Amino acid sequence: MLLSFENVSLTYPPKHNILDDITFSLDEGGFYFLTGTSGAGKSSLLRLIYQAERPTKGRVALFGEPLTNNGHEKQAELRRKIGIVFQDFRLIPHLTAWENAALPLRLTDAGDDYIERHTKELLEWVGIGDRMDAKPEELSGGEQQRVAIARAVVTRPRLILADEPTGNVDEHTALKLFHLFVELNKLGTAVILATHQRHVVDKFHKPALRLAKGKLQKVES
Amino acid sequence: MSLPRHLFTPAFRHQHLGGSFAAIVGIMVFIATFATAAEAILLTASYLWGQTAEDRLTIEIPAVGDEATMSQAERVKQVTSLLRAMPGIENVEALSNKDVERLLSPWFSKPELLRALPLPTLIDVERSSDPNLTAEKIQAALRNVVSDARVNDHGTWVQDAWRLVQGLTVLGGLTIFLTALTLIISVSLICRAVIAAERETISLLHLMGTENIDIANHFQTQATRIASRASIIGFLVALVITSVLFLSTRQLSDLSALGWGHWLGVGIVSLLVPFGATVLAMVTAKISVMRLIRTFP
Repeated sequence: MLLSFENVSLTYPPKHNILDDITFSLDEGGFYFLTGTSGAGKSSLLRLIYQAERPTKGRVALFGEPLTNNGHEKQAELRRKIGIVFQDFRLIPHLTAWENAALPLRLTDAGDDYIERHTKELLEWVGIGDRMDAKPEELSGGEQQRVAIARAVVTRPRLILADEPTGNVDEHTALKLFHLFVELNKLGTAVILATHQRHVVDKFHKPALRLAKGKLQKVES
Repeated sequence: MSLPRHLFTPAFRHQHLGGSFAAIVGIMVFIATFATAAEAILLTASYLWGQTAEDRLTIEIPAVGDEATMSQAERVKQVTSLLRAMPGIENVEALSNKDVERLLSPWFSKPELLRALPLPTLIDVERSSDPNLTAEKIQAALRNVVSDARVNDHGTWVQDAWRLVQGLTVLGGLTIFLTALTLIISVSLICRAVIAAERETISLLHLMGTENIDIANHFQTQATRIASRASIIGFLVALVITSVLFLSTRQLSDLSALGWGHWLGVGIVSLLVPFGATVLAMVTAKISVMRLIRTFP
C-alpha cells in the first residue's frame, strides 16, 4: 500500500474545515490525479502526505507507516522517500540549475562522481542539458519547473507529489510536463499530481481523486 | 553529506550580517587578547618583582653638611659594617651617587637640579627569609650608630602591590568573561537573523528530508570560516597594539625581569584567545541554529 487516509479531517481554528472526513487508499507505483477547483483542499491534502501539516482527526499512513506523531528524524527519513514539485518551483535563487537539481542527492551518501554524472543525465532527460549552469532567474517558467522535477526525482523516490506543477506555465509546456510525469511513472515511481486543469487530466486516462470544498467527491478510475 | 559550500552565503551578505558577525568576533578577540596579554604580563612581572623585592630592604642615610661631626662616608661605612655583622643579612651594597641620580632622573627635567640637591645614600640590603629579622629590629640596631638612618621594607609595598595586582587580575578575568558573554549573545542574534533570512531554503531542505543537525553543521562550517578569519585579524591587531603600548611605556614599566621564556608564555596564553573565540562562535552558531530551525516546518 502506497498511501491510505482513514477518516481524515483538517480544521483550522476556530472552525474552518479544510478537509472533511477523507478516506481513500492508493497502490504502489500508480499515477493519480488529484483534481478540484482552487481552494478545494488539494494542497492541504498533499501537505498532510509530506507532513507539513498534521490531521486534526483520522489517520494517514505512507508506505505502510502511520504519519501521526513522528519525531523529526522519522519525518526526515520518510520525506527522503518523496519528491515534491511545487507550483512556484521553489528553486534556490543563488544556485545553478545543476546545483538545485543535485541538492537532494547531496543529502545522501552518494559520491561526487555519481552526483555529477546522474544529475547531468537527469537534466538532459528533462530537456535542459544545455542550461545546467544557468541560475533560476535566467530560466523560463517551464525550464524552472523541469529543474524542479529533476530535483524531485534525482534520488529516485518512491513517490512524487506535484502540487499544481503546471500552474505557472503555458498550456503547451504544461502538456510536455505532464508527459514527463507519465514517463517517470513508467520507470516505477508513484505520482500524485494535483491540478485544477480538468481538460488536461481528461487526456491522460489516469485515476483521479476529486475534491470539492474539502470533501472527497469521487474516485475516478 | 555535503551541501553546497555557498548555500547560506547570500544570507550572510544580507544586510551585512556576515560583516557584522566578523566585526563582532574580531573586536571581541581584540579586547580579550589585550586583556589576557596585559593580565599575563602583569602577573608574571609582579611575581618576578615580588620574588626579588620581598626579602630586600633599602636603608636611607640622609645627606649631612660639612659641619657635621661625622662625614657621610663614615656614616655609610658604619652602617654597612653593622649590617654585614648581623646574622641573617646576606648582602649589603651601598649605591653610588651615580646610581641614585639615575633612579631619580625620571622625576627631574634638568640634571643640574638633581646635582644641586643633597642626595641621601641608599644601601640595598638582602636578608634571609628569617621572620624574626624584621625591619623594626634592623632600625633599632642602626639607631645606635646613625640615628637618622631610615629602613624601608620592600616586603610591605610588595604585599600592597600584590593585592593591587590580584584586584586587577580579577578585573581582567571579568573583562574576558563579559567579552565572551557579549560574543555569545551577539553571535546568537546574528545567526538567528541569518537563519531567518534563509527560512525558505531551510524549509525546503526540511521537505527534502534534511535533518536539523546536518543543516546546523553546514551553517556552523560557514560561520567558523568567518569567525576564524576575524579572530586572527583581531588577534594580530591586539598583538601589534599591545607591543607598541609596552614599547612606548617601557620607561615607566620596567619589564626587564621578563625573559624570553616568560614572553613566550604570555604569547601562548594570548594565542588561546582567538582559538577560544572561534570555538565559542562555532558552538554558539550551532546551538542557536538548532534551536531556531526546530520551529521551522
